[in-house]
Amino acid sequence: MERSRDYDDIAVALAEARPTPRPDFAAELDELVANGFQRDSQAGRGPLVAISDRLRALSPQRLLFATGGTALAAVVVATMIVASIDSGPAQETDSGGGSLLSGLQSFDGEEQSTEPPRLKGLSAPSNQAAKPSADQELSASSASGTQSSGEVQSSDSLPPFSRDVRHRDIERSAEIALLAEPADVADDSAEVFRAVHDVRGIVLRSTTASGQNAGARFELLIPSRNLGDAMAAFSAIDEVGSRHEATTDITTPTVSVEEQLRDSRATIDGLLAQLAAAETESEMEAVEVELRRERRQAAALQAQLEQLQRRADYSRVSLRIETSDSATSSGGGWGIDDAVNDAGQILAIAAGVTIVGLAIVGPLALIGLLAWLAHRFWLRRARGRALA
Amino acid sequence: MDIAFDQLYRSSRDDVYAYAAGLLRDRAAAEDVTATAFERAYRKRARFNPRKGSPRAWIFGIARNAALDELRRRGRQVELASEPIDAESLAGFEEGERSELRLLLGEALGRLEAGERELIALKFFAGLGNGEIASLLGTSESNAGTKLHRAVTKLREACDGAL
Repeated sequence: MERSRDYDDIAVALAEARPTPRPDFAAELDELVANGFQRDSQAGRGPLVAISDRLRALSPQRLLFATGGTALAAVVVATMIVASIDSGPAQETDSGGGSLLSGLQSFDGEEQSTEPPRLKGLSAPSNQAAKPSADQELSASSASGTQSSGEVQSSDSLPPFSRDVRHRDIERSAEIALLAEPADVADDSAEVFRAVHDVRGIVLRSTTASGQNAGARFELLIPSRNLGDAMAAFSAIDEVGSRHEATTDITTPTVSVEEQLRDSRATIDGLLAQLAAAETESEMEAVEVELRRERRQAAALQAQLEQLQRRADYSRVSLRIETSDSATSSGGGWGIDDAVNDAGQILAIAAGVTIVGLAIVGPLALIGLLAWLAHRFWLRRARGRALA
Repeated sequence: MDIAFDQLYRSSRDDVYAYAAGLLRDRAAAEDVTATAFERAYRKRARFNPRKGSPRAWIFGIARNAALDELRRRGRQVELASEPIDAESLAGFEEGERSELRLLLGEALGRLEAGERELIALKFFAGLGNGEIASLLGTSESNAGTKLHRAVTKLREACDGAL
């Protein structure tokens, strides 16, 4: 009982011995609170500290909204930049009508297709051939090989061993869309065939459609030296809806294949000399095996070289004739279909930008989160130790 | 200045100061900690979540962090300051008894571990209940009560031993 009373006495004494703040300090703190602690925030605080303070003052919901809004704005801005870069060259050559982002359109209705015979020794370049792989040659977009209006990249951007080459091998391609009245599609198509014939070109594939969705599409090979004349002739047939030309420098792979072929032929000559000098049957057989292998290699290289030369000699042209009906069916100059198409493209770009952004920001955010957690853990331990 | 923060400040300013002064045993440091705690609370007031606890528990959590940061900065426990307890606050005691108790309590508190002193400060200076103390320290209420009882017992024994 005595012990309990002592405990209570101590408790009462402690409660009554409670420290109280000095009146001056209390008044000063009252003033600070009334002013929203502005004195400290204005005295020598840098902008980063001020921003940090403002962010800390935000509630988690507002912080989330602010972060989300900032991220969304960044994605929108990046998407606009990427979209404008993508559509930049097309805007220079488009003369109106159709979506900037729309590609070749298919035609419905009555169709007739013609597959003209190919010239001997001239096969149509496959898509792979038309778009060379990155390890073989300079990529069109990444190495500035593809440019609008037929510009060719400067030799400064080429690998060193191809700079001294005097002749450059350039692969060209072009797209052109003509706008025509439905009744004019047949005449325009005939004009296209004539123009192709005049420039000694080849019609790889043609599709014409009549009726409500009248139109035509042509896949052409035009001698590269006549490409300018051909494009001028096509442009004169009817109103040009859009026009795009691109070039790819294939000098490097051509020179490389030429050098390999030269080496291979020298090897063959050497093997032939060895064969002539061979004295035993087994020696001759061994040289002949090597010779056969080298000849196969030389033949493959020769074919590869011819393929590259054909790509340089002939330009692939995609031509389409669109009618006002088909244009109207897709909403006129720019309508619902185009809007959906453009929206899809924009969304795809936005998704790409978001993925790239996440790929950059994600690891940084993870590192930041881990650092923050580590700091928090360390601070808790340090505070705990302060009491020990 | 929003009304809720103003109310919190007015209702807990002296308690926060008393807690800091009791733990740190240094008036100047207690004033710094009190001002820092309220400034931090003011800047983070939008992040207060009522589901996680009362405003009072929240401000004491901030004040405790500020006080422990102060202890860390010093790297040692603060020795007894010149006037840790207000002599005027012991007005209910007779003059001799008051003076004696002031000295004894001051010395006894100085000999307590910082953790025990914190419990005393939270309970008797800041006026927190055992549940609030337990929540603040991240322990159970019974554990907080047991530790508090031990600390008071130590204090009492120290006073008894001195007599």
